[in-house]
Amino acid sequence: MILRRRKALAFQRDGERTVVLLGPDERDLMADLARQFHAVVADDDDPALARLYPTAYVDDRERQDDYASLVHDDLVRTRLDAADVVLATAHSESLDDDELASWMQVLNGLRLLLGTRLDVSEEDGFDPEAPDAPQRALLAWLGFLLEETVGAASDG
Amino acid sequence: MSHPPTLTDAPTTDAPTTNRPDVDLGTDEDVATDRPWIVLVWNDPINLMSYVSFVFQKLFGYSKAKADRLMLDVHHKGRAVVSGGTREKAEMDVFRLHEHGLWATLQREDR
Repeated sequence: MILRRRKALAFQRDGERTVVLLGPDERDLMADLARQFHAVVADDDDPALARLYPTAYVDDRERQDDYASLVHDDLVRTRLDAADVVLATAHSESLDDDELASWMQVLNGLRLLLGTRLDVSEEDGFDPEAPDAPQRALLAWLGFLLEETVGAASDG
Repeated sequence: MSHPPTLTDAPTTDAPTTNRPDVDLGTDEDVATDRPWIVLVWNDPINLMSYVSFVFQKLFGYSKAKADRLMLDVHHKGRAVVSGGTREKAEMDVFRLHEHGLWATLQREDR
């Protein structure tokens, strides 16, 4: 077996912290996306949000209603908090592990929202001529960043 | 689950990209109550394979090998049992998986 060392491009582990290697434009974009994510989650009325609040009990309406009423506000709050952290650290040189976890949560939440809106499937290729190519490129970029955060967190 | 095209792709299957949970919990509560609960994670076309494995390691303390195996089960078979126990524990696990954006459900274990 070959042990392959990951070459960090966006997030690099450095002892207890993770160095953010993004450029200023990418950081501005992340801050903007975190702001939008915060707004959509706070409004709580976008149909694509359903993917962020899955059904736990598929065949038991009563238990599902109890579950949803118990956890929904917590799930909203944890995402709003994570968006706040990304906004506050979008231009930080490095992140602690809690901040990195917030970045992962926002990156994944954005991907779920965007991917649901785009109705992506595993077989989708990238067509630069398609009308939704910019959104799909953004989805891919967010996936690259999330992949990088997983790598950095796993190196810790 | 999706993954960047630059990574070594696991062989794709002809499994449907979405699998609606179609479990039958039954209605006989008295007979069913002694059965433990299981937590299922379902395949979806958005979550990254590496992220799903990472979440299994983080939430359940699984080794990378075990987490990867479960993740590949989700990817290829459409779902995997990732934890279980009392209903309260299973529900808490589902909540934490939902917090991390995974599509998780709980149900009584089949006989």
